[in-house]
Amino acid sequence: MLRAMLRDLRAHLGRVAMTLAAIVLGVAFVVATWVVSDSAAATVRGGAQRTDLAALAQARTGDAVIPAGTVARLGALPGVSRAEGVVEGYAALVGRDGKLGTTSWPATAGTDWDPSQRFDLVAGRGPQHAGEVALEQQAAEEAGLSVGDPARVLLGGDRSDTATVVGVFAYRPAGREFDPAVAYDADTATRLLRPEGAPDGATSGSVPGFARVELFGADEQAVAAAARAELGAGFTVDPGAALRQEQADNAAEDGDIIRKALLAFAAVALLAGVFVIANTFNMLVTQRTRQFALLRAVGARRGQVRRAVLAESVVLGLVGATLGVALGVGLGLLAMRLLPVAGTVAYAVSPWAILLGYAVGLLVTVVSAYGSARRAARVSPMAALRTDAAVPRRSLVLRTALGLVAVAAGVALVALTSPEELTEPKRIQAMAGAVLAWFGVLLMAPVLALGVLRPLARVLRRGPVTRIAMRNAVRDPRRTAATASALMIGLSLVCAFSTVGETMTADLTSSVRAAVPQDAVLLRAAAFGQLDDTVRAKAAAVPGLSALAAPRTGELLVLPPRGRNAEARFTGLEPAGLGTALRPTVTSGSGDLRRGVLLDARFAADTGLRVGDTVRLRFGTAGKDGAVAPVEVSATVAGLHEGSDLLPGVLIDEALVPDGVDGWGDSVYAVGPDHGALRNALEQAFAQRPDVVVQDREQLLDDLLQAFQLVLGLVYVLLGAAVVIAVFGVVNTLALSVLERTRELGVFRALGASRTLVRRTVRRESVVISLYGGLLGIGAGVLLGGVMQYVILANPVFEMAVPWPTAGVALAGMALVGVLAALWPARRAARADILAAIAAE
Amino acid sequence: MTTFDAAVSAEDLTKRYGSGDAQVTALAGVTVAFGRGELTAIMGPSGSGKSTLMHCLAGLDTPTSGRVWLDGSGRDGAGRVELTGLRDDALTELRRDRMGFVFQAFNLLPTLTAWENITLPMDLAGRRADAAFADQVIDAVGLRDRLSHRPAQLSGGQQQRVACARALISRPDVIFADEPTGALDSRAGAEVLGFLRRSVDELHQTVVMVTHDPVAASYADRVLFLADGVIVDELREPSADRVLDRVRSLESVAHGGRVSAGAGA
Repeated sequence: MLRAMLRDLRAHLGRVAMTLAAIVLGVAFVVATWVVSDSAAATVRGGAQRTDLAALAQARTGDAVIPAGTVARLGALPGVSRAEGVVEGYAALVGRDGKLGTTSWPATAGTDWDPSQRFDLVAGRGPQHAGEVALEQQAAEEAGLSVGDPARVLLGGDRSDTATVVGVFAYRPAGREFDPAVAYDADTATRLLRPEGAPDGATSGSVPGFARVELFGADEQAVAAAARAELGAGFTVDPGAALRQEQADNAAEDGDIIRKALLAFAAVALLAGVFVIANTFNMLVTQRTRQFALLRAVGARRGQVRRAVLAESVVLGLVGATLGVALGVGLGLLAMRLLPVAGTVAYAVSPWAILLGYAVGLLVTVVSAYGSARRAARVSPMAALRTDAAVPRRSLVLRTALGLVAVAAGVALVALTSPEELTEPKRIQAMAGAVLAWFGVLLMAPVLALGVLRPLARVLRRGPVTRIAMRNAVRDPRRTAATASALMIGLSLVCAFSTVGETMTADLTSSVRAAVPQDAVLLRAAAFGQLDDTVRAKAAAVPGLSALAAPRTGELLVLPPRGRNAEARFTGLEPAGLGTALRPTVTSGSGDLRRGVLLDARFAADTGLRVGDTVRLRFGTAGKDGAVAPVEVSATVAGLHEGSDLLPGVLIDEALVPDGVDGWGDSVYAVGPDHGALRNALEQAFAQRPDVVVQDREQLLDDLLQAFQLVLGLVYVLLGAAVVIAVFGVVNTLALSVLERTRELGVFRALGASRTLVRRTVRRESVVISLYGGLLGIGAGVLLGGVMQYVILANPVFEMAVPWPTAGVALAGMALVGVLAALWPARRAARADILAAIAAE
Repeated sequence: MTTFDAAVSAEDLTKRYGSGDAQVTALAGVTVAFGRGELTAIMGPSGSGKSTLMHCLAGLDTPTSGRVWLDGSGRDGAGRVELTGLRDDALTELRRDRMGFVFQAFNLLPTLTAWENITLPMDLAGRRADAAFADQVIDAVGLRDRLSHRPAQLSGGQQQRVACARALISRPDVIFADEPTGALDSRAGAEVLGFLRRSVDELHQTVVMVTHDPVAASYADRVLFLADGVIVDELREPSADRVLDRVRSLESVAHGGRVSAGAGA
């Protein structure tokens, strides 16, 4: 019995090839995910471990430094063989193209060279005196510099230094620490490097000390304990083992984040795979109805038939999983190779990856085949005697009812939330509702296929090609729907993300256009940097400038006269710049910062604050010993505004913000009577400053949107896997349909249909199925995206921006998929032997 | 044999399958002509090559050697065409425009209605059926109230009558019928045969019918007997009894020569 079935499977390898392809792709995606995340973790972990460090001491607040005297005292402690202070300061490496590097954080990208394990020389030697510099290898590669080249390094403000590259190194961080880009010898580093934003007039030796102190010695715990006792509460001291552990944990965590993100996409691909596999098994069972009937007639029990089909799926699953694991490992390793990681990449293939691949392959295949196996077992022995035997067909009623319930429940879940009070549980509820409704649409796909295609078939009567293609498409709505559903899964998610992206883009565009005047000229920090006071001063002195705003944002605590304190962000800027160079959308009261502060309208509503109220604002400043010293400022609420990305939170006169408050400012907005003249003047003023970029409003918008488009692009690529699997499903459905219709095709040919006509008919059927999947996917996707943007942005559901270009491209893509998927089946159909087809049985 | 007006004729037609020792001769040099406006039946035992002959005549199969002509005698501009040596597309067009087919297994397209099946050959050619003639045909097959039904909703006899109407609708030079009554009970079979007969008598249609049923053959104007790939006998104005007699005598002959019997039915 089993042998007969397996022989049958082998005899029809062509039929199962496409199913196999779906299993292989799904499994490969999962395995590749595992390999990439394992390898990424291993890469972060491996090669970068410090084994020489006994302990690391640093101040609790980031900006505080350790004086040289303290380092000397630490070095003299018992058990400490050596104490090494680490200099850290602003440094931005200028590339050959005049642009700043993006591989490091400029604020901490400069350091001093020492002979410890921090530096792993890749080429050349360490810097020994002024005029020499060593570069981190990724930074060097990006800048296009190698040993022997002159390198220009910006040092903050107007200062810069040019030195010869003498070495290239790989960096080994201790604990959480950003990789530097440039390393000077100790004396030069002390002379040149200083924290970002340090005054321009600072002379050599004004840098008071070190960012960290590295302690060396035999007994890590003893060294750490001694240092702790010496330094007191303002400092943390971590033993080397703890640092290594932290680093390993971080690596594993990074790997896990990658894994989880990728697995979500793999799950989507697998879901599409389930539809393809289930559909193929259904067709295979249908084709072999008489064989099953014969088996039943000669005495096979129902269970035996069912088990035989399941055994087939197990064999198929095993073969598919084996191929998929091999492909997945290959893909994963290839991805690691192609990823832009400098230095040694660690490749890791864990047994878990392989085991999981097999488990997924087997489970997905067997679960997908289960329904078909049950149907095969229900074939009556009588079917062997009839020529028009058919596998009992399940009615669509139950499936449709379930789908309707799911859609209704999903819609209700979403409708029971409102944008006004979108708390976390409500967000989850709305999202769950959307997913439920999405599954409901998936369940209703066959009925929808009938509902959409039948009337369409009635309308499109002209020409035999379209007519026959449409009729064939609705012949078995369940099959068409399953094929189209597989397409819908990937496509709807693409459209959902696209809708969210489009909505966010629209929101961002309108908020930027509202806040920044069209003729404003912008100065922006290149490569994650900030703009310091020198930039503002220089810009203010440029001729042709009438107003300027240099917003700086940070965190504060608002203490209202009544009610609870609330955390908020603040934006400090000059009163003359508000309303001219940067325009808040004032909803009530005044927009004049000289009269008081402006609160975010939503924040005001939450805290019950009104125009005219007096509030106290508590800022955190860095005090002695790294402790935070709060400073309170009293202010009147002059007006309310709609918060935006460029002007968030409490708007306040920058003069009122106490000194020493942590603030972030990376943009300066300037307006003048003549936009062109102003832009020219600013470009000229900052010609020698690669860390300052001169832009127009629309360029800023492009920059802001670019990052966003990049993420969306990545999401599309990952969802593409699901679409590819679905395409195999379309090929499969068509190929098997063509096989089933050999006779019909023969008659069609005998009656005078040319090969071209037969090909066209099959192709059109394929396009109809694909377009149906496309329409279903786009429709469901845009609605899902509507709920997603509602959940994320709290915009009303139907105020989403429909991504028309994406929808258009998707639909055209589906038509193309239809044409491509039909290539092989159509050729096969056209080659059908007329004589064999019409020969009487 | 070529002295009278022939719609289809063949000269020295041979068809061999396989090669070497396994070679089987299905047709061994058949020269034959089918008269215009006549119903000709081809009879013969299984393996006599009667189906192969019909497939070669209809351009569905390619003969190993010999020639086949289709002659429209100038009607609708259709002259004499040699089928042998034509490319697939040209043959397809000939089948579509100038031949009709009725098969044993009905072979209607299941997704099309009866009317759509009937007009399919015209549809494929991009032409519209002549409404008056279509009415005449539909009344002749008696399917007026069944036109919007799908094949699955029709009985076997009704399906075969749809197939007949489909063969007739484009007024072809010749209709090939391959065991048209093979899958029907005797009453339904008689209806179909009566319809074919009437299409010859009233519409001057040419019909070539392969059958092994003497009763079906008795509807013909002329019966050709095939054995071992050659025409061995011919009968004009047959009756079922006379056909049966010939068949019996042929079978006793064939029994002796069974060794060389070919495949191809």
